[in-house]
Amino acid sequence: MGLRTDILNQPVADLPLRPLVSVPTGTRVRQAMVKMREAKLGCAVVVDAEGRPLGKFTERRLMSALLQSSRNLDAPVDLFMFGQDDCVTESDPIIRMIEKMDSRKLRFVVVVDAQGKAIALTGQKGVMEFVADHFPRHVKVQEMHAKLHMDEREGA
Amino acid sequence: MSLRPQRQGTSLDAFRDPLNNFDPPPYLDEMERLLAEDTVQAMVSTPIRTVGPNTEVDDVLRIMVENDIACVLVTRGNRLEGIFSERDVLVKVAERYDQVKTDPISRFMTANPACVHETDSPAKAINIMAVGGFRHVPILDADDRVVGLLGPRRVTRYLQDVIRRAAQS
Repeated sequence: MGLRTDILNQPVADLPLRPLVSVPTGTRVRQAMVKMREAKLGCAVVVDAEGRPLGKFTERRLMSALLQSSRNLDAPVDLFMFGQDDCVTESDPIIRMIEKMDSRKLRFVVVVDAQGKAIALTGQKGVMEFVADHFPRHVKVQEMHAKLHMDEREGA
Repeated sequence: MSLRPQRQGTSLDAFRDPLNNFDPPPYLDEMERLLAEDTVQAMVSTPIRTVGPNTEVDDVLRIMVENDIACVLVTRGNRLEGIFSERDVLVKVAERYDQVKTDPISRFMTANPACVHETDSPAKAINIMAVGGFRHVPILDADDRVVGLLGPRRVTRYLQDVIRRAAQS
């Protein structure tokens, strides 16, 4: 199948999904930040006692919090979260997720199961990896910063 | 009488083009062709935000938040020196923000970031971003001057555009 057909028809479950960094409501910003750093992930999902997403805390929100005051590092992460309904299910087509990301300017999308429990994270990176898988030969092989042309002519 | 020298037993009809069995790259659909044959200029976002290497961390964060952008390019003149992104805030700055907020951004930027050139295809740029794990990739011209910045939001928008174009063709 071609890329367009795959994007229109394949489910979100076929994207590279990443393990979730979830934190319970009331977690300090500093603690969420440490978990995000350890997981090398730009987003922590704030969940309720049943594991349902209440919102997301992202690097962007961290910057805003820092600019207000570094004391916000000890504030509950709930104060800075957003996007409770930025979720898709594993069976949603990939195109629906792309449309949602574009219209809401999302970087991360939470994947939930049938009970609404957060089970994974995906987003722009997942889509790019999915697209890149269709172009295994289109790799930029030249050395980074190698000049494409010579500064001066060779020879006389 | 022909003046053209002819080898025994050969003629133009017998000429065999060594490239006659060359197959163009196979694309499974129009979207794949567009991604492979467009240039990355079709997806570049401009204008780009640049700061000098001595700009203070605090000022850079303010620029990023106020402009709702995920990274800035650090340049000296026309020359790209580095990139500073939200991830650098999380990893290098946030924990000790009060101590470093007046430090120059060059201390925390990623120097010599991976780049693509404006003549590269979108497929190649997306491959670099996916394989290298780079969310933002500067676009350079042939003289290595920065002409744009490619980020994931632009990629998402471009993919939607290409899906529409592919459907129309």
